[in-house]
Amino acid sequence: MLGLERKAWSPYVAGVIIGLLQIPTFLLMQTALGASSSYVTVGAHIASWFDPGVGQVKYLASHLWGAKNWWQVAVVVGIAAGAFLSMRISGARRHAISPVWARAMGTPTLAARAPLAFIGGFIMLVGARIAGGCTSGHGISGMAQLAAGSTLAVAAMFTGGILTAMLLMRRV
Amino acid sequence: MPVILAILIGLATGIVFGIALEKSRVFEPGVIVGQMQLRNFLMLKIFLTAVVTGLVAIAIMHGSFGVGLYLKPLLWKADIIGGLILGVGIALAGACPGTALAQAGAGYRDALFVIAGGIAGALTYGYFDAPITAFFAESGAKVGFDQLLGLPFVTVALGFAAILVLLLVGLERLQPWRDEAGPDFDGLAALPAEPADAEKSASDRHVT
Repeated sequence: MLGLERKAWSPYVAGVIIGLLQIPTFLLMQTALGASSSYVTVGAHIASWFDPGVGQVKYLASHLWGAKNWWQVAVVVGIAAGAFLSMRISGARRHAISPVWARAMGTPTLAARAPLAFIGGFIMLVGARIAGGCTSGHGISGMAQLAAGSTLAVAAMFTGGILTAMLLMRRV
Repeated sequence: MPVILAILIGLATGIVFGIALEKSRVFEPGVIVGQMQLRNFLMLKIFLTAVVTGLVAIAIMHGSFGVGLYLKPLLWKADIIGGLILGVGIALAGACPGTALAQAGAGYRDALFVIAGGIAGALTYGYFDAPITAFFAESGAKVGFDQLLGLPFVTVALGFAAILVLLLVGLERLQPWRDEAGPDFDGLAALPAEPADAEKSASDRHVT
């Protein structure tokens, strides 16, 4: 059921594993799982190579250093490493881009897909930082703590996503 | 805590997270776009299962051992407007901020552009945080549904978890997860046979 050589696990097994990760996170890090603020930490460090004033921008400065900021950067790096390991062991190799893009948006090549991928990523993180969290922080963590604000943000997130997919994409 | 220890804990957590995201196929753009098209419910199944597990784990930690909670405040405007923008981005990116990294690890090259765009977006927000926050001009309490209902956290958490389990059982009956994963595990059904082939075979039959 949990063999790494398998290409797919039950979503319920995977969901339980992700939910259980709250335990070490609460007990060892005194925080809940999250992903999107790591983009601020990495972005602020890149910006600091060009802009010596980053330390004066309060929001960016608060994401530069400290154990919790670097913990979250390590989490997202670990996500990439874990997915890579899992894919290599099972042999579930992927194309350069998912076939969904040719079907839904008529972009069958990486060159055609790349600009929209960049714009999508940009919009996604602007939204996540305005809301103060993403699918992980507001979704998995906020809803598991019964947070009213997080539940509201998740409802808005699905509304935005569903409207975009319905209006801009062909059904696949 | 020393930063190096935090990084080691983060890496261990992330590797397990990444394996679970890859094996469950929820990192697939086809699954995430399919969820937003209300065609594929794999994302909701994994998401809600993680919430149910978290509810039970946190109910035990908070209720029995007094471990603190880390709620985010209720900010009506920021949560709704930010959430809507986040959702638009997720649909266009075919990824969430976390799953984009899993896509990159599993070999999707466009995920690198999603991540680069995400870093640029996060940085842009960072520079404009002060005016954006001033524009919304709101402050909120870290309020949970247990407080709104005036009931103990454990009661509401376990009750909410039970409702979500029922929802998941219904979803799975409606659409089994193996069908949703698809033949190539990318959340896509096999393409129907080319219409040209169908015509050809029809005319072949006609000739014979």
